[in-house]
This record gives sequence, structure tokens and C-alpha cells, in this order.
Amino acid sequence: MNVGDDKPDARSWRKAYGLALSLFAVEVVLLYLFTIRFS
Amino acid sequence: MNRLDYLVLIATILAIPLYGLWRTRGSASLGQYLKGDASIRWATIGLSMLATQAGPITFLSMPGQAYESGIGFIQNYFGQPLALVVVCAVFVPIYQRLKVYTAYQYLGQRFDRKTQLLGAFLFLVQRGIAAGITIYAPAIVLSALLGWRLNLTIWFAGGLVIIYTVVGGTKIVSITQRYQMIVILVGMAIAFAVAVYRLSPDMSFEGTLSVAGKMGKLEAVDFSIDPHKRYTFWSGLIGGFFLALSYFGADQSQVQRYLAGGSLKESRLGLLFNAVVKVPMQFLILLLGAIVFMFYQFEKPPVYFNQPAYQRAMESGYASQLKALQTQFDDVFVQKRAAIRAISNAPPNASSGDRDIAMSRLRDLDAQARELRDRTKAVLEQAGVDPKSKESDYVFISFILQQMPHGLVGLLIAVILCATMSATAATLNALGSTTAIDFYRPLIPNASDHHYVVAAKALTAAWGLIAIGVASFASLVENLIEAGNILGSVFYGSILGLFLAAFFIRRATGSAVFFAALLAQALVFILFATTNIGYLWYNLIGCAAVLVLATVLQQTIFRGTQAPAGV
Repeated sequence: MNVGDDKPDARSWRKAYGLALSLFAVEVVLLYLFTIRFS
Repeated sequence: MNRLDYLVLIATILAIPLYGLWRTRGSASLGQYLKGDASIRWATIGLSMLATQAGPITFLSMPGQAYESGIGFIQNYFGQPLALVVVCAVFVPIYQRLKVYTAYQYLGQRFDRKTQLLGAFLFLVQRGIAAGITIYAPAIVLSALLGWRLNLTIWFAGGLVIIYTVVGGTKIVSITQRYQMIVILVGMAIAFAVAVYRLSPDMSFEGTLSVAGKMGKLEAVDFSIDPHKRYTFWSGLIGGFFLALSYFGADQSQVQRYLAGGSLKESRLGLLFNAVVKVPMQFLILLLGAIVFMFYQFEKPPVYFNQPAYQRAMESGYASQLKALQTQFDDVFVQKRAAIRAISNAPPNASSGDRDIAMSRLRDLDAQARELRDRTKAVLEQAGVDPKSKESDYVFISFILQQMPHGLVGLLIAVILCATMSATAATLNALGSTTAIDFYRPLIPNASDHHYVVAAKALTAAWGLIAIGVASFASLVENLIEAGNILGSVFYGSILGLFLAAFFIRRATGSAVFFAALLAQALVFILFATTNIGYLWYNLIGCAAVLVLATVLQQTIFRGTQAPAGV
């Protein structure tokens, strides 16, 4: 395995990172809404 | 616990290592022993990483933490998803390209041998102690409540882990962690369902959460910039980011988990799995603690959950003081229960002023109950039976033992022991590998593959015995468990600084980075001894100090030296 193998997939991986971070942002928003609802 | 509980407990904790031993039977090369083989997929890597990080303290202490202080601790994990993405994009491709066994080998290739040894040494010191605490923390609680002998508990849990980790190496650690984590998740899901089911029928689930929120238990996100607040969005996001970046990028106990399998794709998917599931998982564990808190608003809790310590104080001439406090506590409990019922049964057209008065009364009563518990703790300290572990560590385990049906009690004790075994196995595996690769192999450079496998096994066993030794003597040191939590943050900043300097300061040489790390570590020690900064910030301070000092030293004292090219 070397980094060269990864280059064709770089865009896919960037999308995967974006998806993971978007899901995390949704989690934080939901936690904030939970805090507002029950505090 | 009855026979059914013991049957479930023993079957669960023995079956997984036995299956792992069967799956890893036969001899392994050094590469297979230290990195597993290509059959390890992202799901196993992801669960293995989750199990390594969780440890027994997560499942013992977190619900108790929420019971005491609410679920705000969740914010400490907010930096983790960002850090995991950085590890995916920057750290993993380099480790995979260089085919390293340990993260510190990379420092040796990028800088020099002394920087490699410094990184490995800082890791060994803090993880060696942490391994002992991982075994000691649940052993002290389980032995106190179940009457097990402390040393026997430590040796049983520690001994079993040593045997299978030494025999099977990284592959068995990954396989056993996968199934241990499944047991943990299933056990905690059942505990959550039972806790919700056992809540008072007087109130709806939403009404219960509403009261818990009004009592300050459900503040998950706090955007305050007050530096004196322990858990805020900002400290979790920034301090937590550096802690997680160091932990996942430069701590061999995690690096070894995602390098298992050897494929860049599987490593990254395992890391991203953690980025997505960690926050919801921790939220549910903390919410479980808040639900247990609400359960004990209707079911009378003990004034002090560590009942063995309480009983010892009763027998030491402090019975009259403790009984007086218990009577007051019982009285407050009855008033508090009545206040909650009044709030939940208030007519929908009640004025907001009436509701505010009722809530204010409830919070006053809760503060009184808390004060009575503090006074009880003070009496226990006076009686000389003050336990080494936190009182809140006994909340969830007491709830399990007193409120869960038989069979499930055994399963949940197995959850705690599985968490102990999985975290300890990963740590011993990493300690043995680091000592063998970074310290032993350079001393005896031309031995056979088999020779290094035997050496790695012997060193793993030696670290296991050291961990058991630390656990056996842990009770001699006050507040050791809290010290264990702080220990990581004190060392991680410098270790992370070494790696970030390697990645991002192209001109940095080994000597500049080495002395920068030593100075940064000294700075963190001084700040730790003289200030009261929240411990998460040491990660940022240590790391930033290495990067700044390395740049300055490179431009001044080590100006004439050049970094090796191509790494």
C-alpha cells in the first residue's frame, strides 16, 4: 500500500470526511435542541 | 449475585478469549503478531478502537458522573470527530506508506533515534501507569460491593488478559475487542431499557426528562466562554481536538488498532466509524445516568452509595452521627418526591409563576440532599474509611445490583469486566510492541523473525505484570483514578507536538524537535504544579510549545543542521 494508490480515491475520501463531519454537526445541533427543550 | 449471574458472567468473559485463541492458533510472523493480518475489516477495527478508548471507567463512572453533575461531560468528545478526520487524512497514509509497526518508528525515520526514543518513552511512562489504573478502577468497586478479594480480582482480570494478549498478539486483541464491544453495547442497551421501564409510572418519560432538565441534569451543550466552567462547547471542541488528535494519532494503543489489517481503506473506515458513533454512544451512557437519577427521585437512594465504607464507619463509633444524617436525608427525600409529584400533576392552566416557585423549591431540596451527602462523606473521612474511589463510581453499579433482574446483573458485571479486559489488552499489546520495536530490536539488530516474536511476547507479559503491580499498589496513592485522567493530558501535548512538527515543519531537525519537546514537557509540568488550568488545555499548550520552540531552536541554535529528505 502506498499513498499513490490513494490518489484516484482522494475525491471520494474528501466526500466521506465531509459526510462524517456533517453527521457530527447534526449531532451537535440535536444535542443543542435537546438542551433547549429540557433545560 | 446468584448462580445464574455467575454463570452468565463467567461464560461471557471466558468464551470470548477462548474463541480468540482458537481463531489465532498457530504461529505468526512478527508482522502478523504486531499488525494482525489482512482479514481484519473496518467494522472490527472500528469496534476495537471504540473498546480501547472506552475502558471500564466509561461504563462505571460516566452514569455516576451524569447522576452527580449532569450530561455536560459529552462536550469533552466534541473535538474527536474533527481529530479523527485529520488522522485519516494526514497520519494514516504516512504510517501505511512507511509500513511502520509503531508510531514512534516514524519519528526515528523523519528525525533521529533520540527523538524516536523520547516519543516512545513518554508513551510507555503514561500508558504503563494507565494500564494499572484500568485494572484497579473496576476492581476496587467490584471487590467492595461484591465482597470479592481485591488482589484476586486484579489478578484474575489482569492474568486472563496477559495470557490471551501474549499468545495472540494484535489479531486476538482486535477479534476479542469486537465481541467484547458487542457484549458491552447490548448490555448497556438492555440496562437503558430496564432503567426507563423502572421509572415511576406517575410521570411520562418526557415529563421525567423535563424535571431532570429543570434540576440541571440535561444541559448537553453550553456555549459559555467562562474559563472556570469545566465542560463547555469551546473547551471540548478545542482542548478535546488536541487530546483526541494526540490519542488517535500518536498513542500506539490506538495506532496499532487501525494499522491492524494493513489496508488504508479499512483503517480510514474504522476511524470514520468512530467519528460518527462516539458522541451518540457517550450521550446515551450519560443519559442513562440522568435516568438513574430520576429513578432515585421516587425510589429512596442510600445517603451514601458506597455502602461497605458506610457500614465500616457505622461500626467505628460514628453510628449516631450517620443515623442523624440519614434521618434528615430521608425527610428531604420525601419532601422532594412530593414536590416532583406536585409539579407533574399541576393543572395545565397553572401560572408560570406557580411553576417557577415549585421548581425553585425542588432545587432547594435537591441542594439540601446534596449537602447531606457531603456531610456524610465528611463523617466517613473523619472515621478514616474514606474510600480511594469516587462515590459517584458506586451509583450505577449499585443500581445494577439492586434493581436489575438476575442474569442481567451477571451480564452487566461482565460488561464492566469486558471493558477492563479490552482496554487493558490493547494497552499491553501496544506497550509490548513499542518496547520490542523501538527499544529492543535496535539493540539486537540481526536476530531472526521468530526471535523478535518471542521478545515481543515476553515484553508484553512483563508489561502485564507491571500493570498488575501498579494496580496492586494503587490504593496507596490518593486520588489515583483522577490522576490517571490527568496523566494523559500532561504528556499527550508534547507527544503530539513531536508528530505535528514532523508533518508540518519541513526544516525541523531531530535535535531542535527533541529539545523543544523536553522544554515543552517541563513547561507543562510547571504549569500543572503552579496553576489551576483545566487539564484538557495542557494538550494544546504542550503541543503549541513544541511547535514554537522547535521553530525557534531550528532558526537559532540548530541553524546549520538539515532535516533528512524524503520521509
